Amino acid sequence: MYSRYLLIFLLFNITSCSDKKESVYNYEGTFNSEKGGTLIDAMSGEPSNLISMIAGDSASSAISGNIFNKLIKYDKNLELAPELADKWTISSDQKTITFYLKRNLQWADGHNLTSDDVLFTWKLVTDEKTRTPYGSDYKLVDKAEALDPYTFRVNYKKAYAPALDSWASLQILPKHILKDEDINHTFFSRKPTGSSYYKLTQWINGEKLSLEASPSSVMGEPNINQLTSRFIPDTSSQFLELIADNIDLMNINPIQFARVIPSRPDLKNKLALYKELGNSYTYLGFNLKHSPFNDIKVRQAINYALNKQEIIDGVLLGLGEPVASPYKPGTRWSDQNLHPYPYDKNQALKLLHEAGFNDSNHDGILEKDGKPFTFEILTNQNKQREMTAVLIQRRLKDVGIDVKIRVIEWASFVNQFIKTGDFDAVILGWSLSLDPDQYNIWHSSQQKPGQFNFIGYNNKEVDQLLEEGRTELNPDKREKIYHAFSKILLKESPVIYLYAGYGLTAMNKRIKGIESPAPPAGIAYNSYEWFIPSALRRNEITP
Amino acid sequence: MLIGISLISFFIMHLAPGDITASESAFNPKASEESRQKLRALYNLDKPLMTQYSLWLKRIVKLDFGNSFASHQRPVLWETKDAKGNVSKGMIQDALPITLMINLIGLLIIFALSIFLGVVSAVNQNRWPDRLITIIVFVGFAVPGFWLALLLMYWTGVTHSWLPISGLHSAGFEKMSHIAQYADLFKHLILPVSISSLGGLASISLYVRNGMLDVLQQDFITTARAKGLPENKVIYGHALRNTLLPLITIIGLSIPGLIGGSVIGESIFAISGMGKLFFDAVLMRDFPVVMGILTIGSVLTLFGNLIADIGYAWADPRIRRGISN
Repeated sequence: MYSRYLLIFLLFNITSCSDKKESVYNYEGTFNSEKGGTLIDAMSGEPSNLISMIAGDSASSAISGNIFNKLIKYDKNLELAPELADKWTISSDQKTITFYLKRNLQWADGHNLTSDDVLFTWKLVTDEKTRTPYGSDYKLVDKAEALDPYTFRVNYKKAYAPALDSWASLQILPKHILKDEDINHTFFSRKPTGSSYYKLTQWINGEKLSLEASPSSVMGEPNINQLTSRFIPDTSSQFLELIADNIDLMNINPIQFARVIPSRPDLKNKLALYKELGNSYTYLGFNLKHSPFNDIKVRQAINYALNKQEIIDGVLLGLGEPVASPYKPGTRWSDQNLHPYPYDKNQALKLLHEAGFNDSNHDGILEKDGKPFTFEILTNQNKQREMTAVLIQRRLKDVGIDVKIRVIEWASFVNQFIKTGDFDAVILGWSLSLDPDQYNIWHSSQQKPGQFNFIGYNNKEVDQLLEEGRTELNPDKREKIYHAFSKILLKESPVIYLYAGYGLTAMNKRIKGIESPAPPAGIAYNSYEWFIPSALRRNEITP
Repeated sequence: MLIGISLISFFIMHLAPGDITASESAFNPKASEESRQKLRALYNLDKPLMTQYSLWLKRIVKLDFGNSFASHQRPVLWETKDAKGNVSKGMIQDALPITLMINLIGLLIIFALSIFLGVVSAVNQNRWPDRLITIIVFVGFAVPGFWLALLLMYWTGVTHSWLPISGLHSAGFEKMSHIAQYADLFKHLILPVSISSLGGLASISLYVRNGMLDVLQQDFITTARAKGLPENKVIYGHALRNTLLPLITIIGLSIPGLIGGSVIGESIFAISGMGKLFFDAVLMRDFPVVMGILTIGSVLTLFGNLIADIGYAWADPRIRRGISN
C-alpha cells in the first residue's frame, strides 16, 4: 500500500546513503557447506494452526511443511517422489495403491512412526467432526488399512488419479499424541510434534516463531540450525528490515526487484535476487451464459485483441510469462506446442465482423442488432488485477469494444456476483495445479452456486477428457489426455490466459547453496541444503 | 443500553456479505461447497439471525466471550486451560496490554505537552511563539502518520541504526537482564508512541490555549494581579487550574479510545495490538472476536462517562455541592 511512497523516498535517498557504515561481510568467494546458524525471515500473516488439514492459510502451511512429513512429495521437477514412503505400487485395475514406508522412522519425541499413524491421519481427515475443508478427496477411499507397520494400503471404489496428489499433500500426524484429543481444539495445533527437519521451539503471538533442527528428523539434519519467522504485516516495513540487515529474506514486488534494488549499489552488494515461476495464473474469464460471450468467435477476437506481453511489461515490469494452458510451463502437463494467441488487431476485427458486429453508426463502438458492444469487467481489490483491467480496457477500445471496470471487496465479490452468476467478465486467478486434474473448474457438472465452474463452461469433449484423466493413473497416458484438454481450452477461449507472474525473493547473500535459475518447484525445494558460512553469520546477542 | 449497542452492532456485522467460510477456504478447488456448509452449520451460521443473537447473548451474560472462528479457535477474551495443563492465551488478553501501554503513554505525552504548549500560546497570544506552536501542531495533525512513520523508520533505523525498525522486542530479548529489557522495550516504543501522539496534540493544545484566554480575561485574574501576585503564580496557580476543569471531560471520553489501536500504525510497526486484531476479525468475518471487542468498547464508553462525571464532582466544588443539595 505504501510501497509507492517508499519507492519515491528511496530514490531520493540513493545519494545520501553513502555515509552508512560499510558492510563488514565479504559475501563473494567460495564457501563450503556447514551446519549451524540462524535464518530470519518475515511473514505478513501469522500462522493460525499448525495442523495443516484444519488451517487454510498459507502462513500455516509454510511452517507446518517444515515440521511434518507426507507419504510422498513433489521433487524439484514437480514429479512425485518418495518421502515417508520409499515406494508405492498401483494395482493393475488402478483402484488400489500400496505405500511402503521407510524403516526406523521416528517422531521428534522418539516414538516410532508407522503405518498406524498414516491410518490414523486418514481417519481424522475423513471424520465428520473434523473441521477440515479438504476432506472430500480422502472420502473417496473405500477401504484404508495398515497391513503391517511398514505397509499402508488404500482401495478406491473406482480409479481416482488425483489420489496420488492428495497423498502428497496430507501431512501425517502422530497417533500416540492425538488419539484422545479433539482435533478441532487441541494444544497440538500450537505445540506440534512432527517428524521432519525442524521442531517448534518458540511462538510468541503477534511477534515471531522459531524452529530448531530436530535431531531425530526422518529426513536427515538440515544445514541451517534455526529458522525464525517474524510477523511483520506491512511489506514496506519488511523491506526496511531487510535492507537494515535484520531479516534474511522476503518476497518482494516487481518494483523493488526491477528498480529499487538494482539502482542501489549498497543493496545490490548484499542482496541476491531470485525469481521463480509462481503457482498461479491470472485470467480474464467470461460469463458464457451471457450473449455475446457464448459466441466462440467473440472470445477468440478478444483474445487476439489483447497484447499479453504489454500487460506483463506494464503490470509486472516484465516479471512474468504468458501461458497457453492451465499448467505450469516446464512441467510435463504443459504442452510445449501450444502458444498463446498472438496480438493481432486485424484478426480480432475480422472475427468480430464474422460474429455480426459492425460499427454502423460510426461512433467507434461496434454494434450488433442495434446494440453497442459494451461490458463490465469485475475484479477484486488487487492492484495488479486493477492495472490489468485498465490495459485490457484500452486494447479493447481499439477494436471498438467499450469496457467498464468495477473493483469490489472480496467477500461481496464472491457472494453477490460469482455465486449468483451476475457478471459479464472477471479478472481472477487460478492456481497452476501440480496435479493436472481440473474437473472442479471445467466440468459442466460443476456449475451450481459455490462451485468453481462459475463461468458456465460446457463442452462434451472436455467433460469426457476430464473424466478419463481422473481415472488414469499412468502419467504418460494422463499427459496425452491433458494435452488434448488444454488444446480445446485454448481454441475455445472460455477464459483468456493473461500471465503467470514470477515469485520474487530477495535474500541476504549470507545464505548460500540456493539453486539458480530456479527449478520448476522453486528455490525453496532444497532449503534444507542452504547454509550460512560462519564468517557471514549475524552476531548473535549473547546473554 | 448495552443490549441496544450489542444488538445494533450484531446486525450491522451480519449485514456485510459473506462469512468466515468465504475467506477461510476461499476459492480453493480442493475445498468443496459441502465442507463449507458443514462449517457453517458448526458455527450456527445457518440459523436465523435472531437465534444467533440470542445464542450469543446467552453466553455473554455468563461473561463467556467464546472462541474465535479462525482455525486456531483461540478464546476471545481470556486464557483457558485444557485437561493436560496446556494454556491457550486469549486474543484480547494478548493484544490489550500492548495497546493500553502505547495509548496510556501517548495520552500522558499528549496532555503534558499540550498543556505546556497551550499555556505558552495563550500567554504569548498572537506573537511568534503562539503562531509557531499553532503551525507545528497543525502540521503534526495533517501529516499522514504512516508516511512520517516510514520516513522516521528509514532515517533512525536504516541510515543510522539508532532505533529498531519494527516489533516490540529485539531478538534475544528473553536472555537480557531486566534493565536491558526495559531499555529495549523503551527503544522500540519511541517511534510508535511519538507517531500516535503527534495527531492528538493539535486539538488539546488549542483547547487549552482558548480555555486559558477565556480565563485570563475574568475578574478574579484581574483581582489576583491587582493583589500584586507574581505573574507565574497568576498563570499557573489561578488561571491554569480553572482551564483544566473541562479537560476532565476529554480524559473521560478518551478512556474507550485507550483500547482501540490504529490499524495502519500497528501494521507498519508490526505491533499486534487491538486495531489489527479488530480489523483482521472484520475482514475474516470472525464474529465472536468482533462482538467481543465491541462489547468491551461499549462497556468502557459507559464507564468513561461515569468516570468523567465523578472526576468533575471531585475537582469542582460547585458541582459537588449541587449534587449534595
